[in-house]
Amino acid sequence: MCDSCGCDLASNNHSHDTDSRIIEVHQSLLAANDAMAARNKAHFEAMGAVAINMISSPGSGKTTLLEKTIERLKKKIRIGVIEGDIETDRDAQRIRAKGVPVIQLTTGGACHLDAAQVHKGIHLLEKEPGGARLDLLFIENVGNLVCPATFDLGEHQRVVLVSVPEGPDKPAKYPKAFISSQIFLITKTDLLPYFDFPVTEARREALHLNPRLQVMALSATSGEGFEAWISYLEGLTGKTRKDNFPPLLSQS
Amino acid sequence: MHEMSLVQALLTQLTSLAAEHDKKKVITVTLTIGPLSGVVIDSFQFGFDILSAESNLTKGARLIITSPTVSYHCVRCGSIQTAAMRPDHCPECSETLLIAEGGDAIILNQVEME
Ligand SMILES: Nc1nc2c(ncn2[C@@H]2O[C@H](COP(=O)(O)OP(=O)(O)OP(=O)(O)O)[C@@H](O)[C@H]2O)c(=O)[nH]1
Ligand SMILES: [Mg+2]
Ligand SMILES: [Zn+2]
Ligand SMILES: [Zn+2]
Repeated sequence: MCDSCGCDLASNNHSHDTDSRIIEVHQSLLAANDAMAARNKAHFEAMGAVAINMISSPGSGKTTLLEKTIERLKKKIRIGVIEGDIETDRDAQRIRAKGVPVIQLTTGGACHLDAAQVHKGIHLLEKEPGGARLDLLFIENVGNLVCPATFDLGEHQRVVLVSVPEGPDKPAKYPKAFISSQIFLITKTDLLPYFDFPVTEARREALHLNPRLQVMALSATSGEGFEAWISYLEGLTGKTRKDNFPPLLSQS
Repeated sequence: MHEMSLVQALLTQLTSLAAEHDKKKVITVTLTIGPLSGVVIDSFQFGFDILSAESNLTKGARLIITSPTVSYHCVRCGSIQTAAMRPDHCPECSETLLIAEGGDAIILNQVEME
């Protein structure tokens, strides 16, 4: 195969004309990221892990959900976490206190994780005690409902979270995260009595954007709705890894 | 501003294309940025204006960005609408579940260099 243009011509009789001013490229700007994401995915599978990319605005309850999930599942399922934040290792400290392998990636300003950062994260996680063989690997993305949606990390499942205080209009306003996810989690449902958040409207708007989205609602504080989330996770680990996950929608 | 990361990826690609084809100056860059790509074209242009000025190769280069329409596939009757905005329902059968196809790409099509 020709390295310059990716064509399959084995012979030498095609030239890359250095005189022409117009160069045809026709390649995604995300090609480098996507190639790294594919390597990450193979790496997750070699570790035995199903990887889940968690995307939401700051403070929607990603870390709290992970803390409660680990409490519930860590005796049955080997869980690891890659934390992404702009600064500090506070989220990693919270997860470490729950007794599972975790590493913190700090992006130093960047508003999203990319596949190359996660690749580095996998290698760091493997050096943590118990970090090399996992059933579930959570990647908590930088708190941001916009930018992380564009970057495939190689995950098998993408979960987008919206908390009740944020309002039900988030799917309509930030469509990309919902179009590219498999799961939409409405969090902090214990606060429903205090906010105007019609769950059915949020669900309808999200399904309008992505009919294949699976919607769940839960509260990490009260435990309401947690069973569906836990059985979803158990289902992921119970299946044979390679073939049972639908490809991410709208990844290019 | 993940647009900045994408502009950075573009500039890296332009630098290696110039080296490969032995060119010194980028004149125009033609891109397709889909309406569902999550990229704001104005922000992308803004990032390009700032970062492209930092190197002689790309200083003054012009961006030409096209945004394709999206196809909406009806899950019930299978009919396909192309539209800039998501239709509320299928015009054939009134189904509201429509699956978007295309429109999420961020593609570098052509580069004019000398
Ligand atoms: N009432 C209520 N509060 C919650 C719930 N889950 C989380 N919180 C609170 O919401 C705040 C933010 O929670 P985090 O879990 O740190 O949110 P996060 O999404 O990890 O935040 P970033 O990592 O900064 O993006 C904390 O004060 C939590 O106690 C819930 O189910 N109900
Ligand atoms: Mg957090
Ligand atoms: Zn951003
Ligand atoms: Zn129809």
